[in-house]
Amino acid sequence: MEILSNLTPMFFALTAFGVMVGIVFGAIPGMTATMALAVCLPMTYGLDLTNGLALLLGLYVGGISGGLVPAILLNIPGTPSSITTTFDGYPMTQKGQGERALKVGISSSLFGGLFSAVILFLFAPTLADVAIKFSYIEKFLIILFALTVIASLSQRLLVGLFSGALGIWFALIGTYDITDGGNGEYRLLPDFLVNYLDSGFSLLPVLIGMFGLGTILQEAENGVREEAVDSVKFQKGAKFSFSIFKGQFVNLFRSSSIGTFVGMLPGVGGSAASVLSYTQAKNFSREPDKLGTGEPEGVIASESANNGLTGGALIPLLSLGIPGDSTTAVLIGAFTLQGIQLGPLFIGENTVTWDVMMVSLVFANLVMFMVMFFAIRHIAKVVMVPKFLLYPGILMMCVVGAYAINYGVMFDVWTLLIFGVFAWLGQKVGLEIAPFIIGFILGGQAEIYFVKSLESFGTLTIFFTKSPIALFLWGLIAVSVAYSVHHTIRAVKRKNGGNGA
Amino acid sequence: MLKKLTKTLCVATACAVVAMPVLAADGPLRGNLRVVIGSSSTGGDTYQNSSIIAEALAENIGINIKVDATGVTEAYKALGRDKRGNTVMIFHDQAYLGNLYGVKGYADPFESYIIGPTVAINPGNAYLVPKNSPYQTIEDIIQACANDTQIRVAIQPGGVSEIGYTALKNAIKVRYPGKEGNLVAVNTGSQSDKNQLLFDGQADLINGSVQANEQYTRLPEDDQKAMRFVWLTARKETIEQAHEEGMGATTRDDLLQFVSPSASVTFDGDKDFTFDKEFFFLYNKDMDPAIIEQIDASLTEIFEAGEIQETQKKSFFIPNFKPSAEAQTYLKDKRDQYEVIIEALQ
Repeated sequence: MEILSNLTPMFFALTAFGVMVGIVFGAIPGMTATMALAVCLPMTYGLDLTNGLALLLGLYVGGISGGLVPAILLNIPGTPSSITTTFDGYPMTQKGQGERALKVGISSSLFGGLFSAVILFLFAPTLADVAIKFSYIEKFLIILFALTVIASLSQRLLVGLFSGALGIWFALIGTYDITDGGNGEYRLLPDFLVNYLDSGFSLLPVLIGMFGLGTILQEAENGVREEAVDSVKFQKGAKFSFSIFKGQFVNLFRSSSIGTFVGMLPGVGGSAASVLSYTQAKNFSREPDKLGTGEPEGVIASESANNGLTGGALIPLLSLGIPGDSTTAVLIGAFTLQGIQLGPLFIGENTVTWDVMMVSLVFANLVMFMVMFFAIRHIAKVVMVPKFLLYPGILMMCVVGAYAINYGVMFDVWTLLIFGVFAWLGQKVGLEIAPFIIGFILGGQAEIYFVKSLESFGTLTIFFTKSPIALFLWGLIAVSVAYSVHHTIRAVKRKNGGNGA
Repeated sequence: MLKKLTKTLCVATACAVVAMPVLAADGPLRGNLRVVIGSSSTGGDTYQNSSIIAEALAENIGINIKVDATGVTEAYKALGRDKRGNTVMIFHDQAYLGNLYGVKGYADPFESYIIGPTVAINPGNAYLVPKNSPYQTIEDIIQACANDTQIRVAIQPGGVSEIGYTALKNAIKVRYPGKEGNLVAVNTGSQSDKNQLLFDGQADLINGSVQANEQYTRLPEDDQKAMRFVWLTARKETIEQAHEEGMGATTRDDLLQFVSPSASVTFDGDKDFTFDKEFFFLYNKDMDPAIIEQIDASLTEIFEAGEIQETQKKSFFIPNFKPSAEAQTYLKDKRDQYEVIIEALQ
């Protein structure tokens, strides 16, 4: 068995080391799994391919999983794909269930990660053939479907839609890049800002500015009334038990499937996966009104989906030679640095490497679970740190993360500040942050796929006639929109009925 | 006592490790060198080639070198900020082609920066058709355009991907004036997008590379993903320098079928158009000339030792070291040559 000779103690040690470093990267606001891989990529130069991949896959799984920690405890998504984890995770922390929320998130992450690894192992080449059935049009429709979450997340439908549209508008500022097939022209950009905004606003600084700095400014305005440490009970009420997953198996399965599926579509991205699975969790929930108020159901949907991505994004990488997301795009570097060619014949021609990767992926998920599940009791205590000590620390991490995300661009720090102030002031006039951010994250991709669809096919009707997949997606979009409208009308009626009574 | 001694030893070792690169470097270039590249991908050829060069340079000069995949806009900004010489850039022909195609953010590199040494060629710039395409060769494509059949070519606009398309259009114009309009570009982004257009039947010909597309050419014809090379833009002499095994299961001899003169795309009716994608250094305009000399000297030593050529060839790069002065003249001539056909078709 050639594979056994590759499974050395070093191999497992590197995977575990990668997971732990990845968790730290994922947990620091502004630092991502992609950054963890990019930083450690040169280290793989001195390792052989097997050990290099072990390290990078550990970083990948750890980096994606670590994002849930600040999302749940501090309302700051550690990575863009954990944005929906904040919707229920942070309210759970506010209710004193931080540890419970973290354990729900970690267990869901493990399920999502292992689920996608199994799918990857069993069906990679077949699913790659399915993935290539998704042209610009189907990808645009998936993004559009994800955007419908704006309607169901809005506190007030019209304001939420406006906030989402504003987010999309901000996402379009900058160059229509030639690397996206654009014309290289600037849009929505006055001349005096060209030097700063030619690449637009970076996602991570916007995200941590709005969630991190915005919250800090709000707290500063309220004044730091330090509660006695023992009054901040971080584990009051229901404790974590695996029985929480009773009745959630469909949610787990559906969300992991969505994560894996979206992951395997190159260019759609991780944020869309968790947003889509959260929308579906809300649409299918027996008590949709409760989602967003601190329900484990929401954390399960978000976290199983974003870890489902890990195996999903490896499907096109290993079956087509095309990375499924920005993190696997870095992973491709490990292969090229070792002179290994990726493509549709990779798995068949490199069975040992393939098997070793699968072992590493499964082991990384198990290590992630062990490390986070048992260390979380201590990590969760971060909410007990007095805010006058905690917030400056968070602010410093946000600034460092924003500066480092694009290899040292000072304007990204200004972006953090601008959007922090924007979120703080915007909320005073009713701006809804979550729809804004979702519009911002998905707006750029929606534009590219929409324009490319029109350029390639030349007619608007093609969006409806391209394929049965397109029609199916329109069906999903219609159901999702109808559900949101129905839900809003019902909520308004209930409110009016309540007022009348 | 023992504790104290251990502490002292630890501090001394740490100081020694930190100071080592500074002490080792005895030229004007000291401390850390940041190599920014014109690509934001760590999986592409620019990062791969830059890593090979950076590792060799770090060892030879005795300094720390870090390659950052910043992308072209941020790379130019970083280069413009650093006059000390601690930031240099490695990029390829896109640097001047982007300028010739009028892409925003691409200043004339010969005016705005100092062109440094060339280090390697990626000979893999290729054009492919679906395996079941009626067009067997690049000549079939030219003839189809001559017979008023529209041929759609998927490219990324404004650079290396577009130059082959421009050359093909030019060749049709030279041989069949007025028919060049039958060759149309479908502008797209990544290699994934170009492949997808071929799978969807929205492109008849795509730009790709030997490295990224070779495995697709070995798929059976009834596979929707199967492709076939019809043209490599590299010179015959360049491909001849590659290892005999070529790439994957496609040997060097196989690849030679797709370069001039076997696959002919005329430049002016007499000689064929060829294009080697070359990687070279770019420096800040005000950088100390002594540093330029130091990097030239170091690279000369590295290439004379001969080891790096093997590493480059193993990764399907063709070694092509030319010191700064020679590289400047060479690349300027190359730019002028391509400027003629780009201007003629704009």
